[in-house]
Amino acid sequence: MKTLQVTFLLNGFEKTIVSAPNRTLLDVLRDDLNLTGAKDSCGGEGECGACTVIVDDKAINACMILIGQVQGCAVETIEGLAENGQLHPLQRAFVEAGAVQCGYCTPGAILAAKALLLENPHPSDVEIRDGLSGNLCRCTGYVKIVEAVRLAAAEMRHA
Amino acid sequence: MPETITIGKSELRKDAWKKVTGAARYVADIPLRDVYYGAIVRSSVHYGHLKSIDTQTAEQVAGVHKVVTAADVPGLPVFGALVHDQPVLAVDTIHHWGQPVAIVIADTKEIAAQAAQLVLVTVEPILPILDPVEAVELNASKLHADGNLLAQFEIKDGDVELGFAEADVILEETFSLPLVSPAYLETETSVAQWNSDGSLTVWVSSQHPFVDQAEIAAALDIPAEKVRVKSGVIGGAFGGKEDSSISIMASLAAWVVQGTVKLVNSRQESFWAHPKRHPAKIYLKLGAKNDGTFIALKAKAFVDTGAFASYGPAVGIILTETLAGSYHVPNIELDTLVVYTNGPLAGAMRGFGSPQSHFAIESMVDMVAHQLGLSAIEVRKKNILREGDQLFTGVIVNQSANSLPLALSHAENILREFEMIEAAPGKVAGSGMALVMQSMGLGAKVPDDSTHQMIWMPDGKVDLYLGAPDMGQGLIMTAEQIAAEALELPFESVSTVDLDTWNSPNGNVTCASRMTYMVGNALVDAAEQLKSQMLVQASRMMNRPLDTLSYKSGNVITSDGGKIPVSEIISRAADDGIEIQSKATFSFPYPDETTPQNLPIGMPHVLFCFGAQIARVEVDPELGKVDITHLTAIHDVGRVISRKGVEGQIEGGMAMGLGYALFENMNLKANGQWVDSFTEYLIPTFNDMPLNFRNIILEIPEESGPYGAKGIGEVTVPPTAPAIANAVYNAIGVRATALPLSPEDLAKL
Ligand code: FES
Ligand code: FES
Repeated sequence: MKTLQVTFLLNGFEKTIVSAPNRTLLDVLRDDLNLTGAKDSCGGEGECGACTVIVDDKAINACMILIGQVQGCAVETIEGLAENGQLHPLQRAFVEAGAVQCGYCTPGAILAAKALLLENPHPSDVEIRDGLSGNLCRCTGYVKIVEAVRLAAAEMRHA
Repeated sequence: MPETITIGKSELRKDAWKKVTGAARYVADIPLRDVYYGAIVRSSVHYGHLKSIDTQTAEQVAGVHKVVTAADVPGLPVFGALVHDQPVLAVDTIHHWGQPVAIVIADTKEIAAQAAQLVLVTVEPILPILDPVEAVELNASKLHADGNLLAQFEIKDGDVELGFAEADVILEETFSLPLVSPAYLETETSVAQWNSDGSLTVWVSSQHPFVDQAEIAAALDIPAEKVRVKSGVIGGAFGGKEDSSISIMASLAAWVVQGTVKLVNSRQESFWAHPKRHPAKIYLKLGAKNDGTFIALKAKAFVDTGAFASYGPAVGIILTETLAGSYHVPNIELDTLVVYTNGPLAGAMRGFGSPQSHFAIESMVDMVAHQLGLSAIEVRKKNILREGDQLFTGVIVNQSANSLPLALSHAENILREFEMIEAAPGKVAGSGMALVMQSMGLGAKVPDDSTHQMIWMPDGKVDLYLGAPDMGQGLIMTAEQIAAEALELPFESVSTVDLDTWNSPNGNVTCASRMTYMVGNALVDAAEQLKSQMLVQASRMMNRPLDTLSYKSGNVITSDGGKIPVSEIISRAADDGIEIQSKATFSFPYPDETTPQNLPIGMPHVLFCFGAQIARVEVDPELGKVDITHLTAIHDVGRVISRKGVEGQIEGGMAMGLGYALFENMNLKANGQWVDSFTEYLIPTFNDMPLNFRNIILEIPEESGPYGAKGIGEVTVPPTAPAIANAVYNAIGVRATALPLSPEDLAKL
């Protein structure tokens, strides 16, 4: 079978993998690299955001891009967010605000929020909702997720 | 209220740390070696005779190990919570679209999926029955051996005809409720591992691991002790994960190939073949006096359970018991039929019959109010249940009914506030409300014991072995708070061991808004036992009479004022080979003296949660588009255990209610197939939630509950849709009798 060699930055470290070309970034993360923080929920239709990762500072549905497309890119997953065992302010805020219930949407929502805050460090509630509108959550009704992003944004601005 | 250690506070969920770092292991994430992947071959007709399954071509594909069919099931070929009517894999008949027919087991998921396409299933299609009313017509073809009427509940109280004769106004209407999906983000998943000693280890994402264990054992014809079921982290359930289909299939596959097999339903498969909320048609006739007093209620409900029973009969019971909502109506006649069709199976889903009944009754109450020129508040005040009232089932309502007048007075203020707000240009605003009564528990005569265990560790910390899983709602945090409070220890000192049927006691199914209540009560009891056991050890070690010792906040206190940390006692006991552990069972109380005995099994329910929700909407009268600008929820929880946990349940429940009101509908498409993806089946997103959201939490202690607490899981869903529908009516004068309220219908009506 035809394979592809792809080199990219994964959570700050260079990574080279060999894969069939028709596999998605999500497949490779979950099945080859055992990075299972990114989830599949909608079956790769780009509808749920549970698979959200950050590619070159943009939130991307990992189920929607083929592995070859990340050649040379910087890919960030939820596993790379905490530094030296210290949670990222968004991770802490999600815990503190009670924004985590089943948690299946959580990695994707946190990464979508991170990409949003990179672009807009001072988002209004409406902007938070817009920024995360591609991330479904069935448990929380979103109230506490918005609160968590608001809290983290404030903390990150002051840091 | 007295000072507490942790009850009523917002503790940080311990599982959240793993969830925010991606370390939490849902079943699909569990790293295992040498795993085969299964792909399920499913029917692509609604109904038909299964003529043959040709697996030959598929089995010749390189990397395919086996294609399993019903012929490979060594034990019971059918399973089911209440009725054994659901085949593990189809036998002779196809009952619904997407029914599992065979399982392809292969080295990779890609190979399994490809080979699944090559399994040749020959079916002679039969014209399906998809309407529950049609299904019970005399000449309808029989979908199951005993016919299509799965269950019927007829209840009478008073004399309904006499009541209607005395009524000043009588209104009739038929309400239609759609098929909706729990749509948890984690689809059904199971991994089963065959062990060389002839046992199986099965990882499940399930509300009922002990039922999985029993049903797997029955299907494989092996003793239940040979099946070890472990709970993964659960990515939402909402009732839909009270179905063992996927775990039985994974186990069967693992058993046949003597290996490890992983089965993950796609979103499409989840839509097709996992339990959903029952569609229903509910006819209501309500009679009232001019002053608004309800005098007679008649109802007939057709509840469509789809291809298999699942929890259909039990759902029919709660639907029936909540048809009169939170109101006292002296003359009642109710008739609920739970019917088989060839639709996707419906079973347990948050609210369990009550979202359907509440849409009907709460719409009807507003219709009557409007007819009589009374306000929504006035008519409700006249009729709400009061403490000591007798329900039509014969049950006396306890003090929980005192939350109703309280909720109404809050609602009155909120409605007034909402009505002052001006509509955006081009929009028409309206506000509406609904009350809710949700039962707790499985119903009388259904065995409902829940056992949980705690062990005091030598370091003074406590491990909980909960016998029922946390499906994401926060049961573990609640349990840890209750255990910590009862043991006078900080929240941090209590942790919970992952559920494993080989180590955990049987806590029964996580369902029916009763986990805080059941688990909490059991843990309070277990904590008392634990403390006395520890004191017995202390007395022995210290050589002091037991009655000179007492326990306080992690220490043993002696009568002369001495203080010894518990950890010292426990570790010394451990050195002597003694473990300080306790196990307690709580049984849902149905006291013989007060529980009517003349009703079917599962009826009546005796404890209730009440609440109210108020919605403000803005409607575009041209396009019929509804924007929900404000939602306020008022719910009595007895006693808050975990503040953020309770708020999260209410917020999430309302979002689900909002989806039920506005978009969710798993209907048949023009091509004859069910809506089966998130592209077509819309659940609420961030932007669909109102910007103004408020929670008012009432605390009227439930005397039989732990620290006064009771349930909150389901009661939050039923009032949302009728509150929104009532608000829409108040905005544009259009009464919608079907959900979801689609813009096309509102503009057209
Ligand atoms: S899995 Fe749903 S968007 Fe990627
Ligand atoms: S927390 Fe369960 S889906 Fe968001």
